[in-house]
Formats: sequence, C-alpha cells, structure tokens
Amino acid sequence: MVTLYRAGTSIWHRLPAGPKAVLLAVVVLAVSVLPAAHWWVAGAAAAAALVCYGVPGIGMRCLREQLWATRWLLLVTAAGQLVLQGPRPAAVNTARVAAVITVAALLALTTRVTDLLDAIERALPPLQRLGVDPARAALLLSITLTAIPALARTAAAVREAQRARGIRGSLRLFIVPFLVGALKHADELGDALTARGIR
Amino acid sequence: MTRPPTTRPPTTPLAPTTQPPAGIGFENVHVRLGETPVLRDVTVHLAARTTAVIGDNGSGKSTLARVAGGLVGASAGTVTGTVRVLGLDPQREADRLRERVAFVFSNPDTQIVMPTVAEDVALSLRSRRLPRAQKAALVDAALSRFGLSDLAGHGSHDLSGGQKQLLALCGAFVRDPELVIADEPTAYLDARNARRVAGHLLADTGHRLLVVTHDLALARRCEAAVLVADGRVAAVGDPADVVARYEASLRDEASGEIRAEVAPAGSRW
Repeated sequence: MVTLYRAGTSIWHRLPAGPKAVLLAVVVLAVSVLPAAHWWVAGAAAAAALVCYGVPGIGMRCLREQLWATRWLLLVTAAGQLVLQGPRPAAVNTARVAAVITVAALLALTTRVTDLLDAIERALPPLQRLGVDPARAALLLSITLTAIPALARTAAAVREAQRARGIRGSLRLFIVPFLVGALKHADELGDALTARGIR
Repeated sequence: MTRPPTTRPPTTPLAPTTQPPAGIGFENVHVRLGETPVLRDVTVHLAARTTAVIGDNGSGKSTLARVAGGLVGASAGTVTGTVRVLGLDPQREADRLRERVAFVFSNPDTQIVMPTVAEDVALSLRSRRLPRAQKAALVDAALSRFGLSDLAGHGSHDLSGGQKQLLALCGAFVRDPELVIADEPTAYLDARNARRVAGHLLADTGHRLLVVTHDLALARRCEAAVLVADGRVAAVGDPADVVARYEASLRDEASGEIRAEVAPAGSRW
C-alpha cells in the first residue's frame, strides 16, 4: 500500500480521502451483493470497474496491471467455482471478485497514506464511545504501513543471502530466516517506541 | 538549543554520600537474560558528561546501556543490585526516567515509525501535553538543527541510511533529553555520516551521553570510557587509557582474552 500510490490529477486523486473511501466502499458493496444467478451480473461488475478506471488520468492500462497482479487469485477462484458450481457462477463470481479488488485498489492508488490516516483519525471519534482511541488506532495503522517496506527489505535481504550461497526457491529455507528477521524487527521497533515514550 | 537550568527537575540521589547526583550508578549489578548471565557484579559510577562503553560483541556493553535506560523489562530478564540513573531506578521508575532519557539505536530502519519525516519527529512529542503550535515549533527547530528541514514532507523510508539516522537523532533530541543513550549509533553509517552523527551526540547542548560503540575514535572523543569484558567492567577512566588497554588486548591474541584488571570497586569517573 505504501508503494502503490501514484501521483496524478484524476478525479479520484482530487476527491478527499474520506468521501472517496465511502464512495468506493458503496461500489464494492453493490457489486458484492448482486445475485450470482444471472449472467448480466458479470457484465455489471465489469462495467463498474471499467467506469471507475475509465476516468481521465487513470486509464485501462492501470486496470490491466491491477488484474495482472491478481491473476493467480482470479485463476484459483475461477477454477474452484467451475468445478464446484458450474460455468455461470464461476464467470459471475470471478468477474465480481476482479471488480471488487480493482475498485478497492483505487483508494490506495490515488490516496497518500497521510491523507488516508488523517481521514481515519477524523472518522474514528464516534468509536470513542466503544473505547477506541482514534489517535492510537491511526498510530497503529501508521506503524503497520511503515512496517511493510521494512519487511520487504528483510525478505529481499534473505533472498539475496540465499542466492549468494547458491540456494534457490525453497520456501522452507526462506521462511525461517525471514521470520527471525521479522521478529527481530518487531523487538527493535517495540524498544524504539518505548524509548520515545509511546505506550 | 540550550536548556534554561530551571527546567531540569531536582534529582534526589538515593545515597548522596557515595553517588554523584544526576549521573549513572551501578552497584553490584547482576543481569540475567533468560538463563544466561550477561552482567556479573558490575559496580561503576559515571558522572562525566560524555561516556563511551567499549568491548567485544557479546561482552554485555549493550545490556549495560539498556539496563541504564530501563529497557530490560521484567519479562526479558532479571536485574539485581542497585541502578540509579539521574537519581531514578530504571527498572521501577521507567516511565519517569524515559521522560528525561532518549535513545538512539544502530538500525535506523527500526526507529522510524511514521510515513513522513516531520510526522516521525512529531511522534516523539505525542506523550507531551503541549499546545499543537508549540509542538510544531519544536519539530521545526529540531528538523533545522539536524539539517532535515527540506525533507520534512518526504517519505521517511525513502531517505538514505545517513539521513535516516539523523532523523532518529532528531526524534531523540526533540524531547530535549537530559541523558542520551546511544547503542552503536554509527554502526550502519559511512565515515562521513558517522562523523556527522558523532558530532551531534558529542555537542554540548545540555545533555549527557552514554554511547556504546565499536568506533574507538568516537570513544576517544568522550570524556570517560568503560571497557566491558565478559560481563564485567574491565577498565574505567580516561578514554585514551581505556582504549589503549582494549587495543592491547586485541594485539595480545595469544591470550585471547581481555585481562581483567578490574577497577577498584566503587570506582568513579
């Protein structure tokens, strides 16, 4: 998510983060609740994605990239549904999943992380009655987001070290050093937060 | 940034006859992390403004710094003996101590929490009850002091290693600490950035410094030095002497150990 954001001037970029998140959530929800029993639903889902990406400044190339990034997920969805439920639900549900993922991705593609966090911090106060501290929740999200590039670096370092020693493509040999690195990162991050007076 | 002397809270040393106020004191301190003894019977008093802690990897020097800063919690290990830092017990009064102590670690990546530079510095003031405008002014002043003003809006993870460590320093110093504890702050840096970071740490801006380091040049620039070997204080005193002793032990590979010419108990520097 940190690396997804692309600078731009499209309508999606210009919308404030809060209303944009709500609008995209409505589209996603609408596509999700349509019945799987009709072929036209597949068309409607595809149309929703095409309209959302069709605005000037985003474009079909971006949509293609998003679909390509989720190809394995879509393939597994399509294959599973085809075997278990037949061709029509498979087509409808796969189109629906593809539309939901790509439309939701627009939020990350067109919103700066800080803008998103500000929106979240503004939106959370109603939850205060339920015992949620908005500043704390936003902080938690920030930490999660900044942990992603750090963990990606750990993963890259582990892969590089293994390649240097001639080990290739073993998940088991990757997982252990990666987890050790991730846990060490968590420990150090905890110390750094404690040391800066965050409880 | 100079601190008006009146803002420093009065310190009440536990035993004023044997301990300088506002310094770091260890009396018969033993530390175990899990089952492993890491520090054994450490007694040392440090009142110098800047003190370096040197020694081999695994000698216990980082633990010494972490205990002083109250970062060895009840779950991680057991600390016995008496520790006093700025007149406080780091294990029991950790929260009060942290208001006055700042940390810098070696890996800048794990110290940076927020997505942009200015936000990350502001995070250090989160627990302070100050008006928004005052916090913003403190952040601006700290950024300009560390030469980061132009990067205020930048993504903090897009910085170079040297800039990240300067950001970590900025996050530490914005709290205007009385004591800065730095654990190998220059370990990940090139010579230029190491020198820059060392300059900021050693500058006399009204803070004390306890720096754990493998950089013997940095150790020599401090006012006092402690040599830790095998969980014990092997030497304490003038940095030139302490570093010379460490270097002698490095040359003396045949014995393979630092001869424990232990400073007399209660030694002070």
